[in-house]
Amino acid sequence: MPDTIPNEVPLLRMEQASRIFRMGEVEVPALVDADLSIGVGEFLTILGPSGSGKSTLLNLIGGTDRPTSGRVWHKKNELSNLGDDALTEYRRLAVGFVFQFYNLVPTLTAYENVQVATELVDHPLNPLEALKMVGLADRADHFPAQLSGGEQQRVAIARALAKRPALLLADEPTGALDLPTARNVLGILQRLNREQQLTIILITHNPAIAEIADRIVRLVSGRIAEARANKNPIAADEITW
Amino acid sequence: MRALHHKLIRDLLGNTGTLLSVVAIIAIGTGMFIGFGSSQRILEAGQADYYRDYRFADFWVDVKKAPLSVVEQIAELPEIAALDARVVFDVILDIPGNARPLSGRLISTPGNLDRTLNGVCLIRGSGFSDNRDEEVILSEAFAKEHRLEVGDRIKLILNRKRESFVIVGTAISPEYVYMVRGPGDLIPDPGHFGVLYVKDRYARDVLDFKDACNQVTGRLVPDANVHVDTLLDRIDRMLSPYGVLELTPRHRQASHRFLSDEIRGLRVSATIMPAIFLGVAALVLNILMIRLTQRQRTTIGTLKALGYSDRSVMAHYLLFGVVVGIAGAIVGTGLGISFTYAMITVYKGFFQFPRFFYRTYTDLVLIGLVISIVFAVAGTVHGVWKVLRLHPAEAMRQKPPERGGAIFLERFPWFWRSLGFRTQMALRNVFRNRVRTATTIIASALAISIIFMAIVLYDSFFYLVEYQFDVVAHSDVDIGMRNEKSKLALFESRALPAVDYAEPVLGITCDLRHGPYRRRIGISGLSERHRLTTPRRADGEEIRIPASGLVMSRKLAELFDAEVGDSLELTPVRGRRETKWVKLASIVDTFIGMDCYADQRYLSSVVGESLAVNSIQLTVNPAEQSSLYRTIKELPNAQGLNVRADAKRNIEKTLIETSVFSIGLMVIFAGVIAFGSTLNNALIEIGDRVRELSTLRVLGYRPGQIAGILFRQTMFTYLVAVAIAFPLGYGMVEAVTVAYDSELYRMPTIVRPTIVVYTAVLSLLFVMIAQWIVYRQIKKLDWLEGIKVKE
Repeated sequence: MPDTIPNEVPLLRMEQASRIFRMGEVEVPALVDADLSIGVGEFLTILGPSGSGKSTLLNLIGGTDRPTSGRVWHKKNELSNLGDDALTEYRRLAVGFVFQFYNLVPTLTAYENVQVATELVDHPLNPLEALKMVGLADRADHFPAQLSGGEQQRVAIARALAKRPALLLADEPTGALDLPTARNVLGILQRLNREQQLTIILITHNPAIAEIADRIVRLVSGRIAEARANKNPIAADEITW
Repeated sequence: MRALHHKLIRDLLGNTGTLLSVVAIIAIGTGMFIGFGSSQRILEAGQADYYRDYRFADFWVDVKKAPLSVVEQIAELPEIAALDARVVFDVILDIPGNARPLSGRLISTPGNLDRTLNGVCLIRGSGFSDNRDEEVILSEAFAKEHRLEVGDRIKLILNRKRESFVIVGTAISPEYVYMVRGPGDLIPDPGHFGVLYVKDRYARDVLDFKDACNQVTGRLVPDANVHVDTLLDRIDRMLSPYGVLELTPRHRQASHRFLSDEIRGLRVSATIMPAIFLGVAALVLNILMIRLTQRQRTTIGTLKALGYSDRSVMAHYLLFGVVVGIAGAIVGTGLGISFTYAMITVYKGFFQFPRFFYRTYTDLVLIGLVISIVFAVAGTVHGVWKVLRLHPAEAMRQKPPERGGAIFLERFPWFWRSLGFRTQMALRNVFRNRVRTATTIIASALAISIIFMAIVLYDSFFYLVEYQFDVVAHSDVDIGMRNEKSKLALFESRALPAVDYAEPVLGITCDLRHGPYRRRIGISGLSERHRLTTPRRADGEEIRIPASGLVMSRKLAELFDAEVGDSLELTPVRGRRETKWVKLASIVDTFIGMDCYADQRYLSSVVGESLAVNSIQLTVNPAEQSSLYRTIKELPNAQGLNVRADAKRNIEKTLIETSVFSIGLMVIFAGVIAFGSTLNNALIEIGDRVRELSTLRVLGYRPGQIAGILFRQTMFTYLVAVAIAFPLGYGMVEAVTVAYDSELYRMPTIVRPTIVVYTAVLSLLFVMIAQWIVYRQIKKLDWLEGIKVKE
């Protein structure tokens, strides 16, 4: 796939990566022969309807799953070759995750939820500082059930940031939010990308959201149907749907 | 503190109800481990110290009358470290304030109490003085029972003469830690039997045993290269001209045997009971953890995605087990300490030790802690492992919905449709959560079978007492005679006041041999028309004593490996001592001791006498009983006295006092299992189905109706558990019966139908308490929130 590669060794690279799920007798190909490379500091959206393989692709990149065939690299590390421990190490040091349903631990406060991540690395952000970055320093002592959806997702972003990862993976981060809240959350991501050169890969089924990225990869039925550079990414608060 | 520790604490607090029941079950298991274990050690240490400090003998040989010169020869055997020659006699006591004559065992003891074997440990008083010959040291329990003090006087008949003794002390002895007369007794009866130590020289003088004795007791040298039985054979040969009545190695000595059996029983209990309780706790914890980790699938997936390793996630969840284990162990230690204390208090009533004090064994507490943690962690591991194996991405996806397919009962539509929808729901849940249902059934079945076993054993004791004291024996009073008397004694006894009917019994000691098995036993010769002793088979059939041949208790026949029709060699230990062949005519069932019967005339002819008698059984007119007692106190020949009603009352009273406590405790402990496992299952069910149950509330169902669904589930598991529990419990009863089967006594395995009902009702009670809590939970259910729960 002819594509511009900003750096000599891309941050992430996929070669003919496929992931097939076996459900009893039936084989379900979730991702087929995906080729992709992502540079440092890039803001990439992966667009596609549900079931198109977006999350599968993200899981392969994030090291939470392995391809059935093909290869995946992080810099010069072949993820598809790593053992469980090394993959855990990769997730711990290199990746920050943001999920559609936030996945906060319900029995921990916002502060403690961030702490769960900071305790994993040597030089994390102070949890309070991370919460400040998403504008939630004053809700540090609240439990997830006491926060709105948008606030919960911002806590999740703070949790992802607190480890100071080079790569942020966001799986439908605004899928459960209303428009104003979604704008706010996406704005934070856009700002992080611009100000801190954080590489962000964002999954969405919503074409309107995809437009905030530098590049848009479109998946159809497990295959990459299109990958195009977005010359004029829109600002988060310009999004409408 | 680490953030995950906060999560742990909050998760623990969020599951208090279910975790508490697991903690309770673990606590009981650990408590039993510490309680039984400590009691066993305390008894064992008490026994070892006592035996060592007071020179408990290795063997006893009872003879008719042996010269001391022969005893000296025995003492010179190289294997023998020490040997005492004593005079031991059963006597009738007249204690002031007691209308009833009492039984005593008189033991001659040298003045220096520190040197004799089977030492006398003084509790009160100062022991023998030089002031007078008629001094006695009484067993402490007997003295206490009759409020006898040092300085008081008691009367007894010695060699046809009434003598009055001054009490110079009270004492205990390693020979009578468990104060029974011998193998025929089941429970100490200090109200009616006491041991009396009198001065050796005096006893010999009065009883015509100058330079002679009737009991030899000795200790082996510490590294004796000979088995005690072999040595006893040798001593038997040396003493045989003098009529060896009984050879008793230590392992057959009644007191030692009862004490050792108790210690052995405790050791078994300290293993089996904790294993059952901790095993159940692990099973219940397992379903709890499967549920918890399934509910936290997303969290586990997220933690793994964040970069937590499998090990650290595993460690986090294992901490649940560790905390539950530690909590159980802490409560269990407290329980175990009070349990030990209670048991030792009970034991103090049975076993007399010089020092008998409560101790806490740190190592047992630590082992208790370790095993509760091990069991709790074992219960945790499996549930966690299932979720941990998943890739983080997979774990974060919701678990695919459980199979909603039909259960097998639905293949019978006519039946299925006849059930209400709530029964249908209940049955579906029962069959869909197989692991959980199975766990609840196993736990409840174990609980019910323990309750069943406890009640059956309790009842068995009463059955045993009833059988021995009402079904087999019918005499009111038995009097033992000093020397065999002719039939004349019978006529004399008929002339005693208050006597309605009298039956003579001849007891002789014989060597019995069958193939390689040889044993010295006592045979009771019953009169031709015996009706005061009616041996029976377990099926209830009364066995008449045949004109020739033996009737043996089953246990004895087993020891000889003899069957009905087999011939045995019989050699009396005195009289003509000719060996004869006798047939085993019948086998009867007895639960205490090992009886052997023969016809009196036949037995007399075997010994070579026309008709001999050495005890008389009487039925008595109760109105005149006191005049009979007065006469017995004066009877020159009377040696022992047994009053059936008194003996029975003593056993029953003791059994009720002690068993109610232990059986009650066992029922409550088992009840905790039934309660805990049922409650757990129901609470998990509620947690799983908040939305469904809330929806029913919204539709207008009352809490009671909703609880009814869970009640149906509970009843289903309970009924299946009951069906398993009775055979299981019967197996346990049989196992206990086999474990306690000894020469001293055996337990009948009688299950009266009422016990089945009691068990079912009692266990249902615990289940219903759990059900009541379930109802309260449902009533409290925030159903408006519940319908919003995402599943």
